[in-house]
Amino acid sequence: MTAPRCVRWAAFLAVAGLAFVGWGSAHAADVIKFGVSTPLSGPAAPWGIPHKNATELIFDEINAQGGLDVGGKKYKLEVVAYDHKYVIAEGVATVNRLIAKDGVKFISILGGAVVKANEEAVNEGRVLNLPLAYADGLVSPRNPLTFHSFPSPPETTTFWKWIKQNHPNLKRVATISPNDDTGWWSIKVETTFIQKLGYETVAKEFFERTMTDFNPVLLRILAQKPDIISVLASPAGSVGLIIKQARELGFKGRFIHIGQVDTSVVANIAGKANVEGMWVHGFVQAPLPEKVKSWQARYTKKYGEWNATSIDFTNPAFAFVAAVRKAQSVEPKKVADALSIVEFDNLWGKAHFGGKDYYGVGNQIIYPMPFSEVKDGVATLVVQLLPPHN
Amino acid sequence: MTPALFVQSAIIGVSLASIYILMALGLTLMFGMMHIINFAHGAVYMLGAFVIYYVFFQGGAPYFAAFVASMILLGIFGYLVERSIYRPIKGGIEPTLVALIALTTFLQAAGYPVFGQLDKHVPPVFPGTRNILGVGISIERLMIIPLAGALVIGLYLFINKTRLGAAMRAIEQDKEAAALQGVNVHVVNGLAFAVGFALAAASGALMAPIFKLDPMMGEQPLLKAFIIIILGGLGSIPGAILGGLMLGLIDSIIATALGAEPAFLLSFVFIILVLLFKPTGLFGYAP
Repeated sequence: MTAPRCVRWAAFLAVAGLAFVGWGSAHAADVIKFGVSTPLSGPAAPWGIPHKNATELIFDEINAQGGLDVGGKKYKLEVVAYDHKYVIAEGVATVNRLIAKDGVKFISILGGAVVKANEEAVNEGRVLNLPLAYADGLVSPRNPLTFHSFPSPPETTTFWKWIKQNHPNLKRVATISPNDDTGWWSIKVETTFIQKLGYETVAKEFFERTMTDFNPVLLRILAQKPDIISVLASPAGSVGLIIKQARELGFKGRFIHIGQVDTSVVANIAGKANVEGMWVHGFVQAPLPEKVKSWQARYTKKYGEWNATSIDFTNPAFAFVAAVRKAQSVEPKKVADALSIVEFDNLWGKAHFGGKDYYGVGNQIIYPMPFSEVKDGVATLVVQLLPPHN
Repeated sequence: MTPALFVQSAIIGVSLASIYILMALGLTLMFGMMHIINFAHGAVYMLGAFVIYYVFFQGGAPYFAAFVASMILLGIFGYLVERSIYRPIKGGIEPTLVALIALTTFLQAAGYPVFGQLDKHVPPVFPGTRNILGVGISIERLMIIPLAGALVIGLYLFINKTRLGAAMRAIEQDKEAAALQGVNVHVVNGLAFAVGFALAAASGALMAPIFKLDPMMGEQPLLKAFIIIILGGLGSIPGAILGGLMLGLIDSIIATALGAEPAFLLSFVFIILVLLFKPTGLFGYAP
């Protein structure tokens, strides 16, 4: 090979290389990364796994149709998910990694304490956040790019009105909840609401998330002879142990979780008979509307096993896709502006973001929320209710 | 607090203490002989519980067979840990501590892919409740007390009435002198690891049908066991028993009377007070 030919080859390879890199960059730019920071292991994994899976499935379906059309350009959607184990430090680390290393501009964080710990990072990074979390002050004018994508206690407490009308014999309420921001706020909202309805709050206890022996706390609660125990904001593993141990100590009344809990996971720990009659929000096994049945088939096909928690955890992905389509932009601020006005379909009906009268900002998802009762071991839909604020 | 509530919480406290004691005995035995704090104890507790899950619940074996299998398997694991970690680094305290922390982290991290991400459960072995002095107590919890008691008595007899136990006591008092008397220190150390791990496995196996199972489940009992051996005196078996009883009763009775948070704080206040007056713990001695 002569020297000039060698130079020509080198030049060709350089140009080809640059072209490849250029194509790669252009290709990378056509992907919208969506960060998911959620508990994929530990006691809160029954929430985190369907959170990640539901988001991935919706994005896969859009990608299979060619991607998301924004301004005439097709974007592929990619989930970048990390496990925070419902540990605050891990939650902060995963969100920092998503923003700083992975460069995500859109994120969905699960867990009140984790979301609160990341408020500053999300606001300063100008990242659009679609969390599934309960925390005081999360939906607030201070967090303009945070759109809470799951009904919170100010919305779900409306179910107590239904209980009051349909089960007037229940009068004495005890609460047991995690000893953190999520638990404190949830119980504060719930007890304020039910006391106005005329219920007597006979006990209010908090527990560390690592606690497994609830006997001493339950002895205190049961000494007050409650008719119903609220386990709001508690993860499925803890709820299972609470119910099992309360039944062993002789409690015959009802349990209620107006947050969200997988009653099949609870029953695995507590025993099927012990969970009978429990009321829950956001977990329905039967009867499923056609739209949810279709979701069940698709979810089961992809993941091999059905998880009913995934139904309501589709909200961040549905809201995000609807807002990007409405905004025709991938700029977080423009997508946020679109979220404020867009109406979209979730698996339970029409959904939008509102609640300005209550929160001072319309960043709370509103839709007909499903409530169910465990009958013969199955979480059976009893009513769908809209929140008291729109 | 009514008398019935007091009785109920005291029985629950003794049941809880039984588990704490088993955990603490393994820890204190290993500390007494080798002056190492076994940070892997919580992970071994977790593995002991998972043996019950797979052998009893999934495999269909009788609970007591699974219980014995759990102790034997984890006992062998303990012996192997002594051979592969403790012995090669020649009993250095700090390197052993670091190695045991690394082992714990590995076992916990490996737990999620191996056992699954969701909490596991084991169905009740002794279902139902029993009325004692007018109050209902879960039979499962009651059964922990005699089972743990039998293990404690077994350990006492082993340490005090057998040649191997005598060798362990000799090493605890003076390793070099014991070696000069013909005690094979390596073999006896390996045995101490095996016994310590087997006791942690027994605790996990007893708790498996009562609580839920996950790879991190050993952290809380490990913390309690540390508190107990400090309270009772490092290396002291009677200290571990008394310390465990005290902590179990405080945890249960105070938490029932005042709530979980005050009980947690008061247990530490109590330990600080004990250590102020007796810095070596209830049965500890100055080295």
